[in-house]
Amino acid sequence: MTTAPILKIEDLRTYFYSRSKQAFIRSVDGVSLEIAKGETLGVVGESGSGKSVTALSILGLISVGPGVISGKIGFHSDRIQKDLLQDLGDFVKLTTRAGKVMEVTKDVVGWERNTERVMSKVRGKEIAMTFQNPKSSLNPFTSVGKQITEAIRLHTAMKIEREAKERALTWLDRVKIDSPRLRFDNYPYGLSGGMCQRAMIAVALASEPSLLIADEPTTGLDATIQSKIVDLLVELKSELGITTMLISHDISIISRLSESVAVMYGGTVFEYGPAKHILSAGFESKHPYTSALLASIPSAQNIREKGYLPAIEGDVLDTINIPEGCRFYSRCNQVTEKIREKCARQEPDLRQIESGHKVRCWLYFD
Amino acid sequence: MPKTILEVIDLKKHFIDRRGLFSFFKQQRQSIPAVDGVSFNLKENETLGLVGESGCGKTTIGRTILRLEKPSSGKIIFDGKDITSIPTDELRQFRSQMQMIFQDLDAALNPKMDVRDILSEAITVHHRISDTEVDNRIGDLLEQVKLKKSKLSSSPHELSGGEKRRVSLARVLSVGAKFIVADEPTSALDVSIQAQVVNLLRQLQKQLGLSYLFISHDLRVVELISHKVAVMYLGKIVEIGLSDRISNRASHPYTQILWSSLVEKQSKETVQKAKNVQAGRWGVFDFEGPAAGCRFAPRCPVYESMGKPMLCTDAASEPRLTDIGGSHQVACHFPP
Amino acid sequence: MKKYYQISGQISEFSDLPFWKKADVVDLVYVGYGLLIVALVVVSYILGSVNLLPRDPQDIDLQLIMAPPGTAGRLLGTDFMGRDILSRLIVGIQAYFLPGLLAILIALCFGTGFGVLVGYRGEKFDTGITYFTNLVDSFPRLVLILLVIAAFKPDIYYIMLVVGLTNVPVVASLVKGKIQFLKQKNFIEADIALGLPTRIIIFRHILWHHCRSLLIIQATLGMAEAILIETSLSYLGFGVQEPTPSWGNMVQSGANYFMQGKFWPSTAPALAILFTILAFHLLGDGLNNILEDKRST
Repeated sequence: MTTAPILKIEDLRTYFYSRSKQAFIRSVDGVSLEIAKGETLGVVGESGSGKSVTALSILGLISVGPGVISGKIGFHSDRIQKDLLQDLGDFVKLTTRAGKVMEVTKDVVGWERNTERVMSKVRGKEIAMTFQNPKSSLNPFTSVGKQITEAIRLHTAMKIEREAKERALTWLDRVKIDSPRLRFDNYPYGLSGGMCQRAMIAVALASEPSLLIADEPTTGLDATIQSKIVDLLVELKSELGITTMLISHDISIISRLSESVAVMYGGTVFEYGPAKHILSAGFESKHPYTSALLASIPSAQNIREKGYLPAIEGDVLDTINIPEGCRFYSRCNQVTEKIREKCARQEPDLRQIESGHKVRCWLYFD
Repeated sequence: MPKTILEVIDLKKHFIDRRGLFSFFKQQRQSIPAVDGVSFNLKENETLGLVGESGCGKTTIGRTILRLEKPSSGKIIFDGKDITSIPTDELRQFRSQMQMIFQDLDAALNPKMDVRDILSEAITVHHRISDTEVDNRIGDLLEQVKLKKSKLSSSPHELSGGEKRRVSLARVLSVGAKFIVADEPTSALDVSIQAQVVNLLRQLQKQLGLSYLFISHDLRVVELISHKVAVMYLGKIVEIGLSDRISNRASHPYTQILWSSLVEKQSKETVQKAKNVQAGRWGVFDFEGPAAGCRFAPRCPVYESMGKPMLCTDAASEPRLTDIGGSHQVACHFPP
Repeated sequence: MKKYYQISGQISEFSDLPFWKKADVVDLVYVGYGLLIVALVVVSYILGSVNLLPRDPQDIDLQLIMAPPGTAGRLLGTDFMGRDILSRLIVGIQAYFLPGLLAILIALCFGTGFGVLVGYRGEKFDTGITYFTNLVDSFPRLVLILLVIAAFKPDIYYIMLVVGLTNVPVVASLVKGKIQFLKQKNFIEADIALGLPTRIIIFRHILWHHCRSLLIIQATLGMAEAILIETSLSYLGFGVQEPTPSWGNMVQSGANYFMQGKFWPSTAPALAILFTILAFHLLGDGLNNILEDKRST
């Protein structure tokens, strides 16, 4: 496949700032990943891993603190091919000490203006996003039907109200909302969580984007509704062939929908590669975090034997106090004497161990 | 023979929907039957898992048993004593033994107090103890819940999710809990921390002989930690039995649908059954006008496949929990 | 251009720096200024009550009418009757200080009482008390005050009683709102479930931990309001009557001479009113931001 990936993120860093501690919150601290056309990339991570912030950074939706400070976001669709962070260097100056960024001088207002100029052509039309908490992410003052119609008129060639409305109705039907004509005029408060999520997916897809970013599409919903939403996404995927970046902490959903997976922890990517390799139990060469994470989910075997779960000790990384060396060192159960020194002192690079599979771990370095 | 620590008999909790100032004049007040006739037993050292979708009443049951809500009718018998309507002062003695872990991680953790204050307040609720005793007790508690001593001077907002959970566990243990209602104890936690908390809960059960009412929507965790599982739908228990029975050989169509949402369980038949229901419409739960007869009928695939028999929707014949062997009970007219 | 820098070395594990480092400089200035003025007022009040004044406030000296500040030892000059303005200002504090405290006390005590009743017990009390508070709220306060003045005498204490009562609904709804918030977050339930006695829940947890900042703020705002009302009424002639000094009536009596170019007798009390009310407002605002932890991060 020689076509360029639709999205190629290189060494993205998005920082926030804690005034009370006078320190940076390094939410995204060197993230690189790519999404090929037509593919679904699942981004897995726990809280603090930076997955949502990565999505918001792509769309230029970070308006607090220093925000995006370095990196490249290469976007390549049929209509637009550019690095979305092209001009960042003009607005940001970094001072690094001992490899860590210690000072950031940023023209926040200027960058904001620049972002608006660049991203206004991208948001919705090229990259669409659905958010967690569907009820509060939709506009509470407009009916869901109108929101879809608005998206259609803004981002597609269909500008006539009547036509757009018809198209919106077909979308409502496509996301399996019952009685589309009735629901068209419903406001978000009158719909259940599951329906709001479907509506939000409709809004996103109705703009016919080249890339869909779905941030935790099933969190907060009931178990049965969750599986329905996943089924819907599977269907839409095979019907429309949309390229998707799926963010979730729920590994079962990621495994059902993604071809590739990126495992994030503490603001960086620990492992990246084909989903069927990374997420299947029993496949050997995986990052210690990934294997420990998978092992800690109650499996059929655990349940049958009623044994204790092999839990990862310690707490999830606090992105203010990032240690020297590997971010997972303090919790890792696969550290050998040979690499202990390195794990404690130096952070490994993301290195390719086989075709399409990259791991950030000293275990795989010789 | 472990004794029964909790008996719930036909417990009902109806919420009265008050609208407007003169609602007490209104003849017809909307009554929402959040818990509509629930019965079960719980023994010492046992965990009863309670599952169901949101709105089915599982949280309300937990709260009503602890008398945080006034029961509308029915009986709650704790450790042999009927506590359904005893006055608050008498109730307080029992309160120390029956406790609750709330879904919200921050509940019970007063942001203006640090961990040491929170725990010493809890310890001294029922007894006057000297300061050194309090310190010793706190030390023991921290060990039990595996929390570092350095966390004692932290405020709740400085704690991670897992740590907050541990502090609230320590708090309820310090008053001498024997029975704990755990309302979604792991939902707000990261996956890797969930495993820690689940392990901790099981360890504590073994060490201290605790009983849990484990309310959760995470079916895998429920299966792992519970001895028995009860499935609730719209205020009633529709199936109750040993945990591996419920997960592998469920009888009630609703239970089967619930478990079909788990990826691993998706064998061909369950997916097929689930698909049939998926073809149906998904409106919002209609509490205010539950169907006559079996509440699940409108969504029930068996009802559909049997040609909508009258028995299921007949108001007079609501299905009751009936024994189908091996302490397994189902409320269905046509259990497969 | 915004500059962010990280401190080198260990980042503190606790996010609780002492409040003077955490708070916005602006808020600290507000509180500092407010406290300064409050201290001045209290000291002046004490001086006034034990009669430790530079001059006798009622001492009429017809040879020193409208003297500018500094003349013959009168630090702030004299008014149209030759009386020392500074002393009269100090005594004028007595016109609003205790009455203001009365208003605050009534508002806070009854307001908290009602607020707790409704918030904690809710249900039966809610409707009745809500009606009562709406009733009181809808009454125009000025009309009420004038009614009281007409029915009884223009006694500042009666007036402050009315002011206090009309503030009860405000305090009550704030307290009630706080309790509802606590209920929603399951704080109160967790305490009940633990078996904590009701008095500890109400007095320690609800009132002391969660309501104290809002009550302090209501007290400062209440005092500011009391000063404003007292001085306004005295200015209009309905409050404290001559020759007893009140900042309000001092402004009034000096007003006649304003056009003659002798603006000091009017301006001195006016500035006093301005800076004092401002101080209480800023104190309340600053304390609100500091105590309620309104950080920007």
